[in-house]
Amino acid sequence: MSVALVPAVLLAFSLATGQTQTPHVPRMPDGKPNFTGVWQAVGTAHWDIQDHSAQAGSFYQLGAIGAIPGGRSIVDGNEIPYQSWAAEKKKENFANRLTLDPEIKCYLPGVPRATYLPFPFQIIQSQTNLAIVYEYRTANRLINVAKHRAPSVDTWMGWSNGHWEGDTLVVEVTGLNGQSWFDRAGNFASENVRIVERYAFADPDHLNYEATIDDKTVFTRPWKISLPLYRRKEMNAQLTEFKCVEFTEEMLYGHLRKQADK
Amino acid sequence: MSSRSLTSALVVAIALISGVLASGQTRPSAPAAATAPAAKTTPTAETWTPPKTPWGDPDLQGIYTSDDYMDTPLERPTAFGERLYFTQEELAETAAKLAKQAEADLQGTLQRNPGLAVYVVGEPRVGWRERSRRPARQTSLIVDPPNGKMPPLTPEGRKRQSQIRQTAISPQTPPASWKDFDFYIRCISRGLAGSILPSSYSNGTQIVQAPGFVTILHEKVHEARIIPLDQRPHVGTSIRSYMGDSRGHWDGNTLVVETTNFLDGTTSIGRNGGNAVATSDALRLVERFTRVNPDTMNYELSVDDPRIFTAPWKIAFPITQEPGYELFEYTCHETNYSMTNMLSGARAQEKAEPAKQK
Repeated sequence: MSVALVPAVLLAFSLATGQTQTPHVPRMPDGKPNFTGVWQAVGTAHWDIQDHSAQAGSFYQLGAIGAIPGGRSIVDGNEIPYQSWAAEKKKENFANRLTLDPEIKCYLPGVPRATYLPFPFQIIQSQTNLAIVYEYRTANRLINVAKHRAPSVDTWMGWSNGHWEGDTLVVEVTGLNGQSWFDRAGNFASENVRIVERYAFADPDHLNYEATIDDKTVFTRPWKISLPLYRRKEMNAQLTEFKCVEFTEEMLYGHLRKQADK
Repeated sequence: MSSRSLTSALVVAIALISGVLASGQTRPSAPAAATAPAAKTTPTAETWTPPKTPWGDPDLQGIYTSDDYMDTPLERPTAFGERLYFTQEELAETAAKLAKQAEADLQGTLQRNPGLAVYVVGEPRVGWRERSRRPARQTSLIVDPPNGKMPPLTPEGRKRQSQIRQTAISPQTPPASWKDFDFYIRCISRGLAGSILPSSYSNGTQIVQAPGFVTILHEKVHEARIIPLDQRPHVGTSIRSYMGDSRGHWDGNTLVVETTNFLDGTTSIGRNGGNAVATSDALRLVERFTRVNPDTMNYELSVDDPRIFTAPWKIAFPITQEPGYELFEYTCHETNYSMTNMLSGARAQEKAEPAKQK
């Protein structure tokens, strides 16, 4: 557990100290932090971003492999301030997750879910913009820093505009289509959601990630998640293609297969 | 893809069109051939040096499209022999055709939008379909061998060719399952070549560079290739993927990308990566990206698959940066209603016409 505690302490430190320069982090020629690298969240937030106990999975055949590990919340204060109708909808989402969860169907993950899926992602940082490529489904997004773009259509991954506040990259994500979830527990927002992410080095191999979620049509107030991201330190770490569409076809279309072909 | 929504296109159009409205025209007109974007001049790498990134690599970054070559066949029609380039007369004919097409696009738009008052000059594309902005100079995408045709297949290649489903999906030959469709229709991948070869839509490619890496984002299937430049070896041979494992290096101002570790028997080298002989796990692709002027990148793709083709061969065509052009999210799988519809339609047909079934 000591490994997990170090970033938490650093997170608290950086939050308290605000925008002071983080020493010894990789930097671009212009002095900005260079986030280029393979990163991954560690934890169980992909199951449930709130506090949750260990529990059996949906398929008894998978035994311990399919069980859901318990974990601590990445939501500040653990509470998600749903409006009452939305709290009910979250419960319905969870009850019907095997048919509703977009991840089960290999749909694009949305933001911030892509960040803490149990897959690495890679940041490519140029002198102006950044690209983030997620291993899951090769989802990707461009973070426009040089020239901001207004969303022209709602999309699964949204439209990301970034700016620097000292050593922190602040990314505003809008134009999300509201169809993605936050986790496998059915937490959700709508197409009205506005997400502000903050990426900052804690040390050369750890980022502090925060996302503030604001959606007046679903929540009673803005709320925030925060978690550390770990640099994948394996020699030559790289993303491996995970094209999950073909893993879902039997599930999605199997009932439409010609009988004799079975 | 260009602005799909006419509404957003109109915002861009207002400034451009104001001159037309001021001149008293009550009806918009399609861009005449004379006002269509001029053909990009013959790229001459000697006369232009690309900018450098702050860390000293040639800077190829930008959003490029292969739209201009969407009507160019992969293999050269035999009538052209070994002639790769069209004559000036032939190019003028194509320009006239494009202008006519733009006019037809405009009339179609006006029919569907009777109240439309303005139209984007120089943006003849309508809806989701792309159009070439200027005549393609080449008679084929294949530039080597000199006859512009794929080399003969190996015995293994011919065997695979014979196994391709010869009949298109139709009411007479309904699909038994999703596996009767290619990987493009299934929203899985168009393969590496099919991700950049022009088709009728989503021809965008965006390049983002970082110290030590180049990322190529393809609009098609939102593919993203991350290419390390540090000479690291390829992943082990047991790791296979649709898009392969890419390694890059600079040859002067040219980015050279070598890709191996492809899956066997999935996509083919051609438009959309389908309807042709699927490549093998021996496939090795070498791409060369050379920016020859601020808006133009010469793209080359060398294909070497000794299990399928009796000789290596090469594709080449330019990709261009165009005003207002951007990539849109390609959400094919999420909205692949047609797969459900085609399969359920086939099953319904079998139920209705049991006598016709084998």
